[in-house]
Amino acid sequence: MDGSLLVIWIVRILFLALLYVVLFRIVRTLLRDLRQAAREPGTSLGRLVVVASPAGEPTVGRSFDLDAITTLGRDVNNAIVIDDPFASSEHAILTYRGRSWYVEDAGSTNGTARNGRSIEGPSPLGFGDEIGIGQVRLRLERPRGG
Amino acid sequence: MTVGATARPRPAPRVLGPIRPRPRWTEAKLLVVVAVTLLVGSLSLGLTMTGDVALYDPFGLAVYLAALAVAHLAQVLAGRRSDQILLPTMGMLGGISLLLMQRLPQDLVTNDVGGRTLGLGQVQLVWLVLGIAVATTIGIVVRSDSWLRRYKYTWAAAGIVLLLLVFVLGTETAGSRLTLRFGPFSGQPSELLKVILVVFLAGYLSENRPLLIEQDTRVGPLRLPPLPYLAPMVVMWAIALGIVVVQRDLGAALLFFTVFLALTYAATGRISLVVIGLVLFLLGSVLMASVFPHVGERFAAWIDPWADPLDSGYQIIQSLHAFARGGLIGMGLGNGLPLIGGRLPIPEVHTDFPLAALGEELGLVGVVAILALFLVVVERGLRIGAAAADDFRSLLATGLALVIGVQAFIIAAGNLKVLPLTGVTLPFISYGGSSLLVNALVIGLLLALSDKGVEPPPPPSERTWRSRLRGSEG
Repeated sequence: MDGSLLVIWIVRILFLALLYVVLFRIVRTLLRDLRQAAREPGTSLGRLVVVASPAGEPTVGRSFDLDAITTLGRDVNNAIVIDDPFASSEHAILTYRGRSWYVEDAGSTNGTARNGRSIEGPSPLGFGDEIGIGQVRLRLERPRGG
Repeated sequence: MTVGATARPRPAPRVLGPIRPRPRWTEAKLLVVVAVTLLVGSLSLGLTMTGDVALYDPFGLAVYLAALAVAHLAQVLAGRRSDQILLPTMGMLGGISLLLMQRLPQDLVTNDVGGRTLGLGQVQLVWLVLGIAVATTIGIVVRSDSWLRRYKYTWAAAGIVLLLLVFVLGTETAGSRLTLRFGPFSGQPSELLKVILVVFLAGYLSENRPLLIEQDTRVGPLRLPPLPYLAPMVVMWAIALGIVVVQRDLGAALLFFTVFLALTYAATGRISLVVIGLVLFLLGSVLMASVFPHVGERFAAWIDPWADPLDSGYQIIQSLHAFARGGLIGMGLGNGLPLIGGRLPIPEVHTDFPLAALGEELGLVGVVAILALFLVVVERGLRIGAAAADDFRSLLATGLALVIGVQAFIIAAGNLKVLPLTGVTLPFISYGGSSLLVNALVIGLLLALSDKGVEPPPPPSERTWRSRLRGSEG
C-alpha cells in the first residue's frame, strides 16, 4: 500500500521535473540563438538590396549595409556606386532620422523614384519599399537578424 | 563572381526548389525529451486511474507521438531552414492537452464515427493530429506570402462577411452566439477571424507606416497621427463592440482589440495611439457594462463571485477552489476534480477551464511551466518578426505570436480571476477543433516565415540568394 503510493508520488514528481527539463532545454536553445544574434555585426540600420540592374553594376541580389547617411550615385566617392547611364554622379541620399528611413534626391538629372513614382523632397521609406535610380531598382530591407 | 551568377536571370519565382534533406537535430532532441515527458505523464495517469503500472491509453499517446515524429521527418525531408523550437513547444502543449482530455470523463464530448463512439480523448486526439498535419504542411508548402500580402482588403472583406454570417446564422451556445453550422460541420469563425485580422493589420500598417509616423495633427496637448488614418482604429473599435453586443463574445473582442493596439504600437512606436485606444476601450467597457445586462453580470461575477455563488459566480469559485486544492505541486494527474453528485465541479472544464484542471493536478509548478511554454511561442514569434526582411512580414510574425500569447493570457487570467471570465480557448490545450486547427495554422505560418530562404516579392532567384549569403559570410 505504502509502496505503491510512494511509486505514484515519485512518478508524479518525475513528470513535473521532466516538464522543466523540456522547458530548460528549450530556453537554453533560445539563449544560444539570442547570443549568436548579438555576436553578429547586426548593428546596421537597414540593408539595400539590388532588385534590378540592367547595366550589371551593382549586381542583382547584392546587399549593402546602410549607415545613417548613405549617398548613391555614379561617382566612385558614393557609398553605393550605381553605374547606370541614367544615374547622376551624385544622385540620391538615404538618411535615417529618428524612427524611419528617408530618401532624398540630390539634384539628379533624371530624378529618383519611390515605388515607381518620382519623389519631390525628402520622402519616408518603409522596409520593403523600392527606390529607383536610373534603371536600377533597390529595395530597403530590415537589418539581418536585428 | 561565380559563373552561375552571370547566367540569364530566372523570370518567375521558383515555387519548388531542389528538395534536399536537411537534418534538424535541435528539433529532434527536443522532441525526444517531450516524448519521454509525455510517457512519464501517461504512466503517472495510469498509476493513479487504474492502479496498475501501465500507460493510460497507450494507443492514443502512440498515435500522437507518431504524428510528431512524422511531422519532424517531413520537415527534415523538405529541407527548409525553419524554426526548430515551435514544433516541440506545440507538441508539449498538445501532449498535456491529450493527457488531460483522456483523463476527464469521456462522455463530455462524444462523436459517432462509422458505428463507433469516440469519447473526449479520442476526438481531441483526432484534432491534435490534424493540427500537427496543418502546421507542418503550411510550414513546408508556403514559400511566398504574396497571397496574404496582396489581397489584404479581400481578406478583410472575407473576415467581415464571416462575422456577419455568424451574426445572422450563428447558433447560440451558453448565451453566446459563436458557432456556425453547415450541415455536419460546425466551427467558431472568431478563431479564424483573429488570423485574418492580423493579416489585414500587417498589410495596412506596413503600407501606411511612414504616414502614421511622420505626420501630426495637434489636438490640444496630444500629437495625433493624421485624422484619416485614425479611421481604421475607430472601425476596429466599433467591430469589437459589435462582437460584444451581437455575439456576446467578450473574449474575442478583448483579444482583437489588444492585438490591434499592440500591432499599431509595434508599427508606429507612438504611445499616443495606444493611450487613445485604451481610453476608447475603457469608455466602451463602462458603457457596455451599464447598458447590456450580460456584460454587467460578468463584471459583477469578477469583482465578487461570492455574491452569487450558485449561479453567475459558480464557475469562477470552482476554478479558484481547484487551484487552491492543487497547491504547489498539485494532486497528481488523475487525482483531482472529484465528482460532486456524479458531475464535474466545473461544467466547461474541457473548453474554458483546462488551466484550472491542470492547476489542480499539476499545481503552481505545472501551471508556471505551461505558461512559460506560451511565452516561448511568443518569444519565437517576436524573434522571427525581428529577423524578417520587410515590414509586412515583421508585423505578421509579431501579430501571429501576440494572438496566441494574448489569448492564453486572457483565458488564464479569467480562470484565475485576474480579468473578468471570457469564453476564449486556451491555445493548444482546450478541447475544440476550430481552436486547435487555427492555432496550428498560426504555428505553420510562423514556421514558413522563419525560413531564411523565403524572400519578399519580387523574390530573387535562389542562386543570387546563395551568392549574397556567401558574400556576407566572407
